[in-house]
Amino acid sequence: MKFDRRLFFNFDWTLLVLILVISFIGILNIYSAGNSMDNFRQETIYIKQAQWIIIGLILIGIIICIDYRFICRFAYVIYAISIMLLLVVALFGYATHGSQRWITLGGFSFQPSELVKLTIIIALAKYFDDHMIERSYSLKELLIPFFIVLIPFLFILKQPDLGTALMLIFIAISIFFFIGIQLKSLILSVTGGFMIVPFSWFFLKDYQKERIMTFFNPENDPLGAGYHIIQSIIAVGSGGILGKGYLKGTQTQLKFLPVQQTDFVFSVFAEEWGFLGGLILMTMFLILILWCLKIALNSRDFMGMLLSFGITILIFWEVFINVGMVLGMLPVVGIPLPFLSYGGSSMVVLMMAMGLLLNVSMRRFVLHP
Amino acid sequence: MEKLNSQINGHDPGAFRKRFKIVFVVVAIMISFLIIRMWHLQVFRGDELRQKSENNSVRLRKIKPLRGLILDTNGQVLVDNQPSFDIIFVPNRSRNIDNVAYKLKNLLAARSLAFNSEIPFLGKKGWFPPVKLDKNISVEKLAVVETHASDLPGVTVEVVPVRKYLSGEMTAHIIGYTGEISPEELKKDTTGSLGIGDIIGKDGLEKYLDEYIKGKSGAEQVEVNVLGKEIKVIGKIEPVSGYNAVLTIDSSLQKVAWDALKDKAGAVAVIDPRNGAVLALVSTPSFDPNLFNGGISFDDWEKLSTDPSHPMGNRAISGQYPPGSTYKLFVAAAALEEGIITPDTSFTCNGSFTLGNRTYKCWNKKGHGRISLHRAIVESCDVYFYNVGKLVGVDKIAEYAYAFGLGRATGIDLPREKNGLIPTSEWKLSRFKEIWQLGETISISIGQGFDLVTPIQLVNAYAALANGGTIYKPRIVKRIETADGRILKTFEPEPKSTLPLSKETMDILTHALWGVVNENGGTGQALRRKEADVCGKTGTAQVVGLPDNENARKRIISAKFRDHALFVCFAPYKNPEIAIAVIAENAGHGGSAAAPIARKITDAYFENKNTNHKKTHPLVAADQRSQAEIYR
Repeated sequence: MKFDRRLFFNFDWTLLVLILVISFIGILNIYSAGNSMDNFRQETIYIKQAQWIIIGLILIGIIICIDYRFICRFAYVIYAISIMLLLVVALFGYATHGSQRWITLGGFSFQPSELVKLTIIIALAKYFDDHMIERSYSLKELLIPFFIVLIPFLFILKQPDLGTALMLIFIAISIFFFIGIQLKSLILSVTGGFMIVPFSWFFLKDYQKERIMTFFNPENDPLGAGYHIIQSIIAVGSGGILGKGYLKGTQTQLKFLPVQQTDFVFSVFAEEWGFLGGLILMTMFLILILWCLKIALNSRDFMGMLLSFGITILIFWEVFINVGMVLGMLPVVGIPLPFLSYGGSSMVVLMMAMGLLLNVSMRRFVLHP
Repeated sequence: MEKLNSQINGHDPGAFRKRFKIVFVVVAIMISFLIIRMWHLQVFRGDELRQKSENNSVRLRKIKPLRGLILDTNGQVLVDNQPSFDIIFVPNRSRNIDNVAYKLKNLLAARSLAFNSEIPFLGKKGWFPPVKLDKNISVEKLAVVETHASDLPGVTVEVVPVRKYLSGEMTAHIIGYTGEISPEELKKDTTGSLGIGDIIGKDGLEKYLDEYIKGKSGAEQVEVNVLGKEIKVIGKIEPVSGYNAVLTIDSSLQKVAWDALKDKAGAVAVIDPRNGAVLALVSTPSFDPNLFNGGISFDDWEKLSTDPSHPMGNRAISGQYPPGSTYKLFVAAAALEEGIITPDTSFTCNGSFTLGNRTYKCWNKKGHGRISLHRAIVESCDVYFYNVGKLVGVDKIAEYAYAFGLGRATGIDLPREKNGLIPTSEWKLSRFKEIWQLGETISISIGQGFDLVTPIQLVNAYAALANGGTIYKPRIVKRIETADGRILKTFEPEPKSTLPLSKETMDILTHALWGVVNENGGTGQALRRKEADVCGKTGTAQVVGLPDNENARKRIISAKFRDHALFVCFAPYKNPEIAIAVIAENAGHGGSAAAPIARKITDAYFENKNTNHKKTHPLVAADQRSQAEIYR
C-alpha cells in the first residue's frame, strides 16, 4: 500500500485528544474508586486500566494503517470469529456472579460479548453496503441483517447478560432506522415486538426480573436490587453542585456503592466532582458523539458512513443507559460507561472502534480506485 | 461537502443529511435528560441527599440465617441454635475512636466486668470495617452497653444465632463445628453466595452438609442517626433458615458407645449391615464443639490443636490402625476362594514359625498343635495364618482385602476420610524401590506390617460378609427436610460392589466367626449372650515390634507402646442387623479390652429393640420455632 501524505494531514487529532482526555479522567476516577476498598487486590486496578488504554492506543495505530474498506472486506470472517468466541464462552467459559461471560486467552480474561458489539456493526455495514437500495428497506430485506444480530443476541442472553444483549438490539434498530425502514414494515415489527415482550419475560433469570420489577417499584425492595439504585442516588445527589472533592466521596470511600469501579463508576465521579463535574463530563461525551456523527456525515462512502454511525450510536447508547441507570432513571443492567468503567475487554474494543472512526475520518478525501 | 457526498455512490446525500440532523437533535435531547436529572439530584435534592450520606444514614446489615437442625434417626435434636449477643463497633460513626473504647472499658471495669478486647483499632486513622469487641456477652454486660448507648457512639449490640451442640463431645466428630469463612475459603467459593463474616461448616457434617443446612442470609437496610443508633428499618429481607438434616445415628446407641469408650483413646463404628446406615460413630478423646460458637478463643484453639492425643481428629474414619488378627478373615477368604486351602487343611502350631533364620511367634507360646481353619480362626492361631499367607502370597491377599473395601476410602459422607493401606509387591517397589520380602507376607498375614485400616473400613468389610456379600457405602445422613418437615431428599442405600466369594466360603467364614464368640477356647467369649447370636473377631495390633526377651518386653510396654485392642462383630448370626468395630488404643488384648465395649453395644441394641419397639418418638417442635423467637 502506497503511503499517502494526505492521510497524515487529515488525521483527526481532535478526536484522539478527546478520547485521551476522557480516558485520563477515567483513570483518575478508578484510582479513587479503588482507593476506598480495603481489599489487597484493588490498589492496582487503575494501573491495569492504564495498561488497557495503552494496548488500545497501539491497536488504534495498527488499525488506522489499513484502509477500512480493506478491513470490511473481511467483515463476515470477523463476525464469524466473534460468534465462535461466543460459542467457546458458552462451552468452556467461566462464570462470575452467576453468569458465564469470560474466556481466558493466554493468561488474559476476555469478554467476547464486548467484541460482538463492534463486529455486528462491521457486519451490518458490510451487508448494507453490498445491498444498497435507493428506497427504504422492507421487512423481508431486513431479514438477513436481523439474523446477523439475532445469533449473538441469543448467545449473550443465554450467558446471561441482558444489558449487552439489549445493546445489540439497540444498535441494530438504530442502524435500521438510519438507513430507513418502510412504514408498513415498521408498524408490523413494532406490533410484533410488543407481542414478544411479555412472552420473553419467561426467559429472563430471576435476578433480571427482580431488577426490572425494582425499577418500576423501587420502594418494594430497598435491599438487593434496590440497594444499588438507592445508594447510587445518594452518592450522586450528595455531591451537590461542586462535589465533595477528589478522593473525598464518603459514599465511595465507605464502600456503600457496589461495583463502583465498573458499572457504577459514574456515581463515584458525580459524588466527588458534583453537578459541575458531571455537566463537564456529559458535555464532553456530547461533543464526542457529535464529532463522531460529523465523521459519519463526511465519510467518503456509504460503508464508512454506516460504520461510523454504528460506532457512534454504540457509544451514545452506552453513555445514555449507563448514566441513566446510575441516576436511577433506567433499570440496572450491566452496561459499562465508555472510557470510564474499569474493564479490559470493554476498553480495548472501544479503542478499536475509535481506530475505525479515525480510519474513516482520515480517508474521507481518498477516492475509490 | 456537496461534492463529497455526491461521490457516495447510490444513495441520496440529501436524505441522509436530514437523518443526521434528526440524530443530532435526538442525541442532544437525550443527553440533556441526563443533565436535567443530575440537576434534580445534585442541586434540587442535593442538601437532602448530602444529609443522608453524611449521617451514613442508610446502612445495609446482613442477617445471619439459622442453620438447619441436625437430628438423630429418632428425631432427637443433636444440634440446635441459640442467640449470642456480640458487641460490635462500627468505626465510621464515631468521631473519636480511642475515647469510645476507653469509655466502654471503664464502664465495664466499674462494674468489675471484664473487657477482653485488645482494642484493635487504637490509633487507627480513617475508615475500617466494623470490629467485634466481645462475643456471647452476659446479661450484665448487655445491660451496661444498652443503658449507656448514647455515650458510646458506634457501639452496638448484635444478636446472631450460634450453634448449640446438645450432644457435645459425644458426637463432636460426626457433627463437626462451624466458624466464620476465611479469606481462602471465600476465594474458593464459586457460587458467589458467600460473603465476609458468613458462618460456614468447618468440619464434620457441618461442613459436608453445608449446602443444605446453611440457609440464606437475609438483609436489613436501616436508617441510623449520627451516633449509629437505628432510627428505623427501611427494608428487610428475611433470612431463610437452612434445611434440617436427619441422621442415621441412633443417639441412645451413640451414648452407650461413648460411655464405654470415653476413658480410652480409640473409636467405635456401628453400622446396619443391611444398608450401610451408620448407627453410631464415636472417636475418643473428643472436644467440646460449643467452644467454636461465635469464634473459638485463641487459648482454646491452642490447647486443642497442640494436644498430643489429637482430640480433633475423627479416629473412626481417619485413624489408620494395623488390623491385627481381624485381618485373618480376609486372608482366609483369599485362601479358600483361590482353592489354596480347604476347610480341612491343617497345619501344626508349636508356638512359632520359622522362615529362613527368623522366627515368628504365635500369641499362644505353647502352640495350638495340629489345627484346621475353623479352630484357627476361633483361637486366632497366628502360625496357621503364617502358613496360609505364605501360600497365598501378598498380592492375592491384597486383591481380596481390596474386594472387602480396604485400602481405599469407603466414601462415607464425612470429610477427611483416610484410605488406609493394603500393600502389594508393586506398591513396595514403587514406594521404596525395594523387592517385596516373603517375611513381610508373614507379617501381613496376621494384619501387621504395612497393613493399615480405618475402623469404618473394618466394620464395613465385616458387614459385607454379614449381609451375604454386598459392600455398601456407609451413610450417616438419612434425609434432608425443610423446616416444616417436608422431605427434600432421601439418601438411599448405595451398594458399591459385591464380594467375589461363593456362598460356601462365606458360610464357612461366618460360622468360624460365630465360633470365636460361642465356642470354648474362642477369643471373643466376652460377647457370648444366651441367645448365642454374635459373630466376631478379636485383634491385637502391635504398635512397635517388640523384642523377644520377656524382660525387655515388659520394660518397653509403657502405655504409649502397648498394643491396640480391636474387636469386630455382627449380630444376630442369622440375618444380622448390626455390625460393630471397636478399637481401643494401647489397651492391650482385643478379647479383654475391646470385646467388652462391643458387648455393651450389642446388649443395648437388642434391649432397645425389644423394649423400644412400640415407643413413638414425638418429632421435636424445635423446627417450628420462628426466627423472631430465637432473637427474643
